[in-house]
Amino acid sequence: MARITAGVASSHVPLLGVAVDQGKTGDDYFAPIFAGYDWTRQWEEEQAPDVVVLVYNDHASAFDANIIPTFAIGCGESYKPADEGWGPRPVPDVEGHADLAWHIAQCLILDDFDMTIINEMDVDHGLTVPLSMMFGTPAKWPVKVVPLAVNVVTYPVPSGNRCWALGEAIARAVESFPEDLNVQVWGTGGMSHQLQGPRAGLLNREWDNRFMDMLVGESDEARWIEHIEYLRETGSEGIELVMWLIMRGALGPATRCLHRHYHIPCSNTAVGHMVLEPVA
Amino acid sequence: MTDIHEYLAEFDDIPGTRVYTAKRARQGYHLNQFAMSLMKAENRERWKADEAAYLDDWPLTAEQKEAVIARDYNRMLDLGGNIYFLSKIFSTDGISFAEAVSTMTDMSFPEYREMMNNGGRPPEGNRSIKGGY
Repeated sequence: MARITAGVASSHVPLLGVAVDQGKTGDDYFAPIFAGYDWTRQWEEEQAPDVVVLVYNDHASAFDANIIPTFAIGCGESYKPADEGWGPRPVPDVEGHADLAWHIAQCLILDDFDMTIINEMDVDHGLTVPLSMMFGTPAKWPVKVVPLAVNVVTYPVPSGNRCWALGEAIARAVESFPEDLNVQVWGTGGMSHQLQGPRAGLLNREWDNRFMDMLVGESDEARWIEHIEYLRETGSEGIELVMWLIMRGALGPATRCLHRHYHIPCSNTAVGHMVLEPVA
Repeated sequence: MTDIHEYLAEFDDIPGTRVYTAKRARQGYHLNQFAMSLMKAENRERWKADEAAYLDDWPLTAEQKEAVIARDYNRMLDLGGNIYFLSKIFSTDGISFAEAVSTMTDMSFPEYREMMNNGGRPPEGNRSIKGGY
């Protein structure tokens, strides 16, 4: 049977993709950010997961203002990097796992999550930057990916509680997939950042670190944080952190933290990164 | 169940922030779709050649058109724009996210960059208008 072996959380700042693509990861500005991912790149090589369920948000790339799915799952065979206005990132195409994705989609719908199913889409920095952070610059990504896109742009976005519950449902779905697969769930986005208005540039080191604390161990406190708290404390774009809760929910009642990294700033954003494993 | 009126009312209490609500999404629909069109290289070429003519193909209000031409991002937000859509405009201009964001604050780009390098804008005093905390 397929099994969820670990959860990874990471910011997906577009500038990190630029740093990778332009070979600047060793620069003074970027080196301390990338150093916090060294441990994970080594660990991912050892773990060699078969599939990543990659929770991210689309930034007006695949979805325009016309159709706004709250939760969408990619069930296609492969996905191309999106042209976000300056040409597509020079990274490999992302290979899907259509069998697992369709299995998860069906299970989630029977489990009362009314998913939107996507067969064809391009994937933007929200999905490809985390792959670069965890795997570097291979000729081909070493995992298959099930993209899971969440609306965190148009309000109301899904509640933290709903995201956590979706993670729990993803875990049930993966565990009923008959093939023996090593599956990780990644939650991306965040941490504190605000990209708009006179309050732009807000960062909150203390709150971000408290949030990371909450994801370790048996606490489920984080699932009850309301939108208004994210907005006040972490900036208008910090709401992306609800996507980390899908990852956390998928790991079950308790977790152990294997690795943790926090750095301010990257462009407008606080970078946070965690590796968690479920505790049986 | 969360009361939608109370839920939305709280958003107006956040200093210097326009939360992208359904109301804004409706108001800014064509503005955001116009910005989205700049993801295509051929559209970017047409846009660069004649911005006003390009805008005339879109059912924007006169105010929205003015704000776009002036690159007044706060005004665009007020008129229903969303930053991820509007980012296609400043990307086409060859301006970084951080620089574009800085134009919405009361700082120059070098001042904004310095603030970010020093830990960002602190949350203290920036969480609530009414509460002042």
